[in-house]
Amino acid sequence: MKIFLQLGLILLAFCVVATALLAYVNSITKPQIDSIQQKEAEETRRKLIPDSDFEEIQGEFTYYIAKDSKTGEVKGYVFTAEKNGYNGPVKTMAAVDKDYNIIAINVIQQTETPGLGTNSTQPKFTDQFKGKTVEQLIVDKDGGVPPNCIKAITGATITTRAVTNSLKESIEMLKTQVQTKNITPNETGAKEEVNK
Amino acid sequence: MSFMKELTKGIIKENPTFVIVLGMCPTLATSTSVNNAIGMGLAATFVLICSNIFISLIKNITPDKIRIPVYVIVIAAFVSIVDMSMAAYLPALHKSLGLFIPLIVVNCIIMGRAEAYANKNNVINSIADGIGMGLGFTLALCLVATIREILGNGTWLNIRVMPETYDPMLITLLAPGAFITLGLLMGLMNMLKEKK
Repeated sequence: MKIFLQLGLILLAFCVVATALLAYVNSITKPQIDSIQQKEAEETRRKLIPDSDFEEIQGEFTYYIAKDSKTGEVKGYVFTAEKNGYNGPVKTMAAVDKDYNIIAINVIQQTETPGLGTNSTQPKFTDQFKGKTVEQLIVDKDGGVPPNCIKAITGATITTRAVTNSLKESIEMLKTQVQTKNITPNETGAKEEVNK
Repeated sequence: MSFMKELTKGIIKENPTFVIVLGMCPTLATSTSVNNAIGMGLAATFVLICSNIFISLIKNITPDKIRIPVYVIVIAAFVSIVDMSMAAYLPALHKSLGLFIPLIVVNCIIMGRAEAYANKNNVINSIADGIGMGLGFTLALCLVATIREILGNGTWLNIRVMPETYDPMLITLLAPGAFITLGLLMGLMNMLKEKK
């Protein structure tokens, strides 16, 4: 009996040391990692809509307003769409203009089949999204009519659907978010007037 | 003399992939392109050397009965620390190798070498064993990846080697292709050995 207790305590000691070390390393590296990730996301946004400043709008659906860095004019919105593909979540960062037509997209994270689904990250696939409207976001296999649809990658229809449908859903969410936001500032403005 | 012998045995005579047949999961996952194979091989070599050193150092204070759980804790903690520090201070390297780090935790070559070698030998020999096994693993991965990438994608290290008209044999990029390639290579190696 005593030997089990002894072994258990030794194992416990190892765990305590390992956990303490991990906690310590995590506390040092976490801020650094966060700032790197933020920088990367910022760079991707800049690639999608060049020469812009971005304002983050947090909420049920987080998105960014892109404003021209010189004139301050609103150029469009950037957001991240996500949906399960064949092998796991497929994340796409996309930019749309003020009328919600797609400016550019970038598949930022996926774990799809090499040689098939991974082709979704290539310009050959992503370039066809440029200029598409919400209505045109339909995969050709689901009844879309070329050229007003998205051509599926050979052997990776599921991945294509994940990207296309996630974008479609996210743009709908973005629309409602932007509209409600445009109402809210007016309301607070009205309240301020009353207070005065 | 003995240092060199420990170093070279992992490359052919006791090759972790072809002879000991350890670490099949990362082999399947990362031998789809030579680029990935090199990344995985080097990351695994690094962790293998360090874990061998560590296990060899603590071999006298670990009770025999609980050595396996202790190895698990040590390796998992070590890999996590490497992952976090790399993400924070070497983001470029982490971008190309980070994908393989979680795969290393479950890479049984590391566990296997800890159990079969590092806990019975001194630190110097354990380092030699780690380097040899790591290089053997890297070379084996590269060999499998060369065949899979050329046949499945028509490229080698992302450079096109097959003519544009070549229709890629997609199956070599999928899991069955990995098993077929591995099986043929093992057969070939055994044939060469018998001839000697």
